[in-house]
Amino acid sequence: MEIKKLLFVTKFEELGFDALRSLLNLRNSALEHVVFVNVIERDRVAMRRGKGYEKEEEIRLREAANIRFIDWAENLFEQGMEVGCYIVVGGLVPEVIKATQKEDADLIVIGRSHKGVLEHLYSGSDVTELLRRAWTPVLVYKHLSETAISVEEPFERPLLAIDWSPGSLRAVEYIKALKNTVQEVHLVYVADEKTLKGPSAMGIQKTRKEARNKLGKICGSFEAVGIKAREHVYIGDPDEEIEKAAKDCQATMIVLGSSAKTAWVEKFLGSTPRKIAEESIYPTLLIPPEKSEE
Amino acid sequence: MSKKVLVVDDDPDVRLFSVTVLEENGYTPLEAEDGEIGLKMIKAEKPDLVILDVLMPRQSGVRLYRELKTSKALKDVKVIILSGIAKKTFLRSQKALTEFGGAEIPEPGIYLEKPVEPDELAEVIKKVLG
Repeated sequence: MEIKKLLFVTKFEELGFDALRSLLNLRNSALEHVVFVNVIERDRVAMRRGKGYEKEEEIRLREAANIRFIDWAENLFEQGMEVGCYIVVGGLVPEVIKATQKEDADLIVIGRSHKGVLEHLYSGSDVTELLRRAWTPVLVYKHLSETAISVEEPFERPLLAIDWSPGSLRAVEYIKALKNTVQEVHLVYVADEKTLKGPSAMGIQKTRKEARNKLGKICGSFEAVGIKAREHVYIGDPDEEIEKAAKDCQATMIVLGSSAKTAWVEKFLGSTPRKIAEESIYPTLLIPPEKSEE
Repeated sequence: MSKKVLVVDDDPDVRLFSVTVLEENGYTPLEAEDGEIGLKMIKAEKPDLVILDVLMPRQSGVRLYRELKTSKALKDVKVIILSGIAKKTFLRSQKALTEFGGAEIPEPGIYLEKPVEPDELAEVIKKVLG
């Protein structure tokens, strides 16, 4: 569960070297290898009306990416890190999945997508599609300039949202493996109002007590490896309450387990992890369950 | 028999360029698209010379060069580095790896920064292979 190798997926405008720099404290844990990925979307170079394939444009885009990556790579090489890069023409999600498998990466870092509302409505976002298809943890990075919070190092103080799913329990082990990077972890369970044990104050308190006890055990396992941990129970809509909890705890990122719901199920039922990944102001780390658990 | 030269570079255009220079000068070119495949081919084909890129998928030229120079069986394989990464960066990265507990390794004899002219590359290969 260590993060030895991360894939840094960038189109440059949404994710720059400053973002990567903020993740380099993962070296205190196990990070030793960074792989840059730039995917030149096929529609930027291929099959333009009356032009066919624009080879010259492809070369221009490749070289622009290559020059940027060389500059970044030099910085990392000089720190003794291992660096690789992919500059490919194709679809973002399939190419990222391909590179992840080829490199056997432990973490994919990607920026929040900036598709228009209509485009998003019809085709969904690249981030959502990647989260649906990847079996590797994905960190959706959010920029300082986009947020009012100051996130110097996202892995410093994560808020881990637990819903007892295989993904969220795997996230516990994932964070434990980062004990030399994570300073403090806040665990939150959000009890949906529908699942409360009756509408009375007693019922609510009972739910809270049970959840706190369960969270307390996980906190104990964090403390055992040297990570300070605190448990919290919130009541309400998970999408909103997780965000509130992150603010209350001054978290530096939100961590959630994800599942591999199909596109149509998500369209009708929604998905808290993906909604938070897309909409939260916090960097969001999504941990999928083991393939066999899905 | 002509000498075998392995080109390790992820950029197919650069491989094509180097292979063309090699063929025109009477060498037998071999190709690998990343450091991992490159290392396997070096072990299997025992080339007389390796033309090595630095920034590549799976395994970089920094690590491959280090593997060669710390291997008893492979340390004498001749290497020309041909890369967009600056020579001083390559040297600093090797120094950092040595400081992290790695073995001290010799500097590459020839380090060419991309782009390179065909004549320049041909001349350097000739000089290295004698």
